[in-house]
Amino acid sequence: MGGVMSRAREHRWSQAHLSHYVEGDLGPLARRRLDRHARDCVDCGRGIRAMRALVYALGGLGGPAGVRAPATIFARVGPAGSDGSAAPFAR
Amino acid sequence: MTPPSPGERPSAAGGPATDAELIARAQAGDVAAFESLSGAYADRLFMLLLRLLGDRGEAEDVAQEVMLRAWRGIGGFRGRSSYFTWLYRIAVNEANRALEKRARRTAGASLGPDELQLPAPAAEEPSRQAEASELRMVLAQALAELPPPLRTAIVLRDVEGLSTQEAAEIAGVGQAAFKSRLHQARMRVRDAIGDQVLASAGG
Repeated sequence: MGGVMSRAREHRWSQAHLSHYVEGDLGPLARRRLDRHARDCVDCGRGIRAMRALVYALGGLGGPAGVRAPATIFARVGPAGSDGSAAPFAR
Repeated sequence: MTPPSPGERPSAAGGPATDAELIARAQAGDVAAFESLSGAYADRLFMLLLRLLGDRGEAEDVAQEVMLRAWRGIGGFRGRSSYFTWLYRIAVNEANRALEKRARRTAGASLGPDELQLPAPAAEEPSRQAEASELRMVLAQALAELPPPLRTAIVLRDVEGLSTQEAAEIAGVGQAAFKSRLHQARMRVRDAIGDQVLASAGG
């Protein structure tokens, strides 16, 4: 009974720290704690792989090559701005 | 990921101008120098606004506002951070301001995931391309449903690939608070997509 409760507690703790684990934010003791639990827990082992895959996939969402800033991005910038604003500094 | 290096920009000495030279000229009121300096980051900044706002028209308006505020504020830029970090911080602040306005107008409205989708990398096999495209779609949807502070954290750190230190500075929070947001964001996205899909996508 105690073992089941302890395993459930370790599972909750591990699930809550998967991102910290992948990010390298866990200290050595905490990292070993999660490693120990994940060795015997299919869900947490898959959770680690999923979190790594998520971070990898987010990093591959694409770069600026596919999207260009609009040509009008500086439309309001100028000595007196097209919105009538003054320049930021005296000349 | 490091900020993009500016392209060839002429300096008074004839070689390409550095950011420092362009900043000095912009601070003296040189609009062309400001546009050259900020233009090097314009595409990436616009992409960030698209990701945070999920609406192209609104991203265009906010991008103009960002450049206007940067132009007005460059006289006070002291170089304590890189120009890129300073500009990105203005962009995040303006995106948050726009999202707050939107929330007041339409309580509970979420972003348009179509706008959050990003171009597919070229040269993938058709089946892999379809899988990748589907994953991008569900990622876009999950990002769109995050509260703005969590979305900002995961976009800056994981999508943009900035260091925690730089991303926290841009988000305007300490590193501990930033990491807390990042972990929460990842957990929510993971919950939304599911381990099965993610683990199989990871090979």
